[in-house]
Amino acid sequence: MIKITREDFSVDEVIKSLKKREVGGIVTFVGIVRGESQGQLVERLEIEAYEEMAVRDLEEIRRTAIERFLVEEVMIVHRVGDLKVSDNIVLIAVGATHRQEAFDACRFILEELKRLVPIWKKEHILGGRSTWVRDEPTSAS
Amino acid sequence: MKVTVRFFAHLKEEVGIECEQLELCAGSSINDLVEALRERYPSLRNDEKYLIAVNSVRSKLDRRLAEGDVIALLPPVSGG
Repeated sequence: MIKITREDFSVDEVIKSLKKREVGGIVTFVGIVRGESQGQLVERLEIEAYEEMAVRDLEEIRRTAIERFLVEEVMIVHRVGDLKVSDNIVLIAVGATHRQEAFDACRFILEELKRLVPIWKKEHILGGRSTWVRDEPTSAS
Repeated sequence: MKVTVRFFAHLKEEVGIECEQLELCAGSSINDLVEALRERYPSLRNDEKYLIAVNSVRSKLDRRLAEGDVIALLPPVSGG
C-alpha cells in the first residue's frame, strides 16, 4: 500500500496489516519532525508533494524492493501539510520471511524515496525565518 | 497547443503561482517551453537545478510536447 496523506498514521495498524503466515519479521522506519536544524529551533515543518507523481514513484520503488529483496509486503505512508515537532512524517514497513531482507529493503526504499520522490519540506524556524530543505545528506532522517 | 505548467516548493514561491496554462506552437519541445518560462519569469534563469516531468514522468529536454500535457518543474527533493 502506498499513501500520501494529511492525516497521521498508526504504526500498530500498519504492522497488524502486514502479519501473515509467510512473514517472520517486520522492519519499520518512522521519520519524524526534528526540533532542531543546523543549531536552530524548528517551530514546524511544511510538506508539499506532487501527489500523482509521488504515488507513481513510490509504487515503482515498492515493486522494485519486493522483486530485488524478495520481501513479502511493503507499505509506505508519507504525510503532507503542516506538521509540528515530533509529528510523524513517513512510515516504511517491510514484512519478510527473514530479517536481513526486511532491513535491506527498508533501507533501500528510504534512500530511493529521499533521492527521487517529488516531496519537499519547508522548515519554519522559531522566530520567523523559513527555508526549503535541500540536499540532505543520506545519513539524516 | 495548450499545455499546463505546474510549479512546486521554492519555484512556486519565486514565480508566485502554482499552475498556469500556456499556448505553445505545435511541435514545441520542453526546451522551448523552458525558454518561454525563463522569459516570463526571470528568476528561473538563476536556478538550473530543476527536473522536468511531463504527465508525471521525468523527461528529457528535447521531448516534443502535445496538446493537454502537464509539465511540472521539480526542484531538488527533500522527502522522508
